[in-house]
Formats: sequence, structure tokens, C-alpha cells
Amino acid sequence: MRRPADIAYDRRSMGTLVELTSVFEGLASMRIAQIKNQVKEAQAFFDELWTIYTQLRVDSMFRFGRRENTAEILNKDLIVIITAEGGFSGDIDQKLITLMLESYDKEKQDIIVIGHHGAVQLAQRGISFKKYFKLPERDLNINSGPIIAQVQHYKSTTVYYQTYVSLMIQDVKRISLANAVQQKGRQVKAGKEETISEDTYIFEPSTFAVVDHLERSMLQIAVSQVILESKLAQYASRFRAMSSAHTRADELYGDLTLAYNRSSRSIKDERLKEIINGLRKVRVGA
Amino acid sequence: MADVITEGSVVSQTPIEDKEKRTIHIKVYSPFKTYFNEDAYSISAVNSTGPFDILPKHHNFMTLLSPCELVINRDSGQIKIRIARGVMHVKANNVVVFLDV
Repeated sequence: MRRPADIAYDRRSMGTLVELTSVFEGLASMRIAQIKNQVKEAQAFFDELWTIYTQLRVDSMFRFGRRENTAEILNKDLIVIITAEGGFSGDIDQKLITLMLESYDKEKQDIIVIGHHGAVQLAQRGISFKKYFKLPERDLNINSGPIIAQVQHYKSTTVYYQTYVSLMIQDVKRISLANAVQQKGRQVKAGKEETISEDTYIFEPSTFAVVDHLERSMLQIAVSQVILESKLAQYASRFRAMSSAHTRADELYGDLTLAYNRSSRSIKDERLKEIINGLRKVRVGA
Repeated sequence: MADVITEGSVVSQTPIEDKEKRTIHIKVYSPFKTYFNEDAYSISAVNSTGPFDILPKHHNFMTLLSPCELVINRDSGQIKIRIARGVMHVKANNVVVFLDV
């Protein structure tokens, strides 16, 4: 049997682990609540912009804000994959990359990866990517401009991201970016139908410049929202991982406490036996 | 990202019935923050053609804003909001400024 002092040392270490996992669990839970709020606020902003855009648009096509852009568009699809920055968010990134590889065609598609963990995972599998962006650390004012600049060079874009179903369930999804904007737009409750035209409005610098700008803005918001949703799923995945680590550490702490008590008890019993035997010998000698 | 600077009172008191006719509702916000959402007398900004002011009963108007300082004149003083970019929508005495887009 191990000595109580050794068990006590292990128990102290396990106690620290129990506290640490509890702190990480709490932090993840706090970030989840914050991001949920931000997603809600950004949705209200998007709704108002979408309402103006639908009243203003000149045709039914979503043009990724490149109506006035003369640069050549590549006849390729762009894949944007949003992963975690560190490898501390469970197995959700592996699931996401596996989903992407099911339909990946090296000749017809280019990959942009957001998040260091995804870049490492792709490199380990020998898959090259065109660009890598760091996952924004902050949850506010996500600047998705550089991603949109890339998106505008391709004929279409598919985004692979993680979704938050509940605190214990996260999933991986893919969505076409144009559909993402239009889907979000369809969620907006239709109000009184009005048309914004040059007859009733003054536009500066021009109607097309405003439409282009709105399309780019909505793409940016859609990308920011997808990034936020991925972060939400990553925090939830981290919460889940920390929650099970906490439960396991707590169980081990309980086991070690039991082992410590048994070991102490056994040493006390041993000493008691020695004392009794010693007394018996003294009596027999007398 | 916008910065807000509040200055001291610069506008004299106006009777309520007059005030209603002479104000516009102004909302300045970004996807994650509302900077201003009140009635005011005017708002000034800058677009590609230069500086401009929006007063009550302005014509329907939509413009892309250049980096500038939005100046809002209200009852309790003047507010300045430094912006990098934005879109301004003016309609029926309502001004909405979308920031960071």
C-alpha cells in the first residue's frame, strides 16, 4: 500500500486540477452568454440593412458587391474554413476538416483557413491552402474586410463552420456565402413594401455605389456572424471538454481521498497492533 | 470603431411644442454597439462631395460616409462621434447611421 504522504501529494495536485477545470468551465460559460447577446445585436443591425437593400436593389441577383469591380473573376470555388485558434476545443475541428475533404477538389477549389488549429490540421494532412487568417481574439468589431476582398475574386464561396446547437451539442455545417446572406434576409419580417429609387431619393455618390456597398457590408456581417457562431460552438465544445475533465478530476480526487484515509487508517492499525503486542510481551515477562 | 465626445450645453432651451417640430430622430449604431439614439436638432457629416448637414424635413437621402466626425446638436449639448466609415439613411425625419460597414 502507498504511503499517506505520497497520496496526499497526488490529492493536492488533483485538487488544483479540479479547481482549474472549474475555472475554465466558468469562463467558457461566461463567453457563451456574451457571444449569444452579440449575435442577437448584430442580427438586428443586419435586419435593418437588409430591409433597405431589398427596397433598393435593382435586380434579384446578389453580386457580392462587385458590380463596379472590373477585376477578373476566377472560375474557381473558394472554401473558407473556420476553426479554433488553439487546440483546446475538443474534436470539433477534425470533424469540420473531414466534412470539407468529402467534397474537396484541388483543381477546382482554393482554401482559405481561419484559425491556427485548422491550418495545422490541414498541413498535417498534406493539404495546401491559399491564405491563413488568425481567428479574431475579440468578439466585437470583427474585421472581415480582408476575407471579403478574397471572396470577390471567386465565382462562388462555400463556408465550413461550427454551429452551436446546445451547450452539450455542437455540429459542423457548410453554406454557400450568397445563400447565407439571402437566408438571413429571409428571416427578416416583411414590412410595408416601399421602393427606394432615384425618383424619391438623393443618392451620393451613386445608386450603384450604395448598392455595392450594402452588399459588401451584408457579406461582412454574414461572415462576422458565422465567425461568431463558430466561436460560440468552440466555447461550448471547450465547456463540454472542461466539464467532463472536471467530473473525472473530481472522481479521482474522491478516490485519492478514500485511498489516503485507508492508508492512514492502516498505518494507525499497524501501530496499535505493535503497541498491543508490546504490552502483551511486557505482561508475559512480568 | 467610433469615439464619442460630449461637450457642454450649447443650445438654448426651446418650448416643447416647437421642439417637436424642429427635431429629427437620430440613431447611430454598429453591429455591436449603439452610440446615439435620441431626438436632436441636426447632424453633420462628410461624404465624397464634402461636409453636409441634415436638418428636420430633409429630403430622402442615402449616402456613403467618409472618415469624419459626426456632430449631433441636441437639447443638452453637442455630441461628436469619430467614425471610420458608414452609411447614412435619411427618411421622414429619421436618420439612421450604420457604422463599421
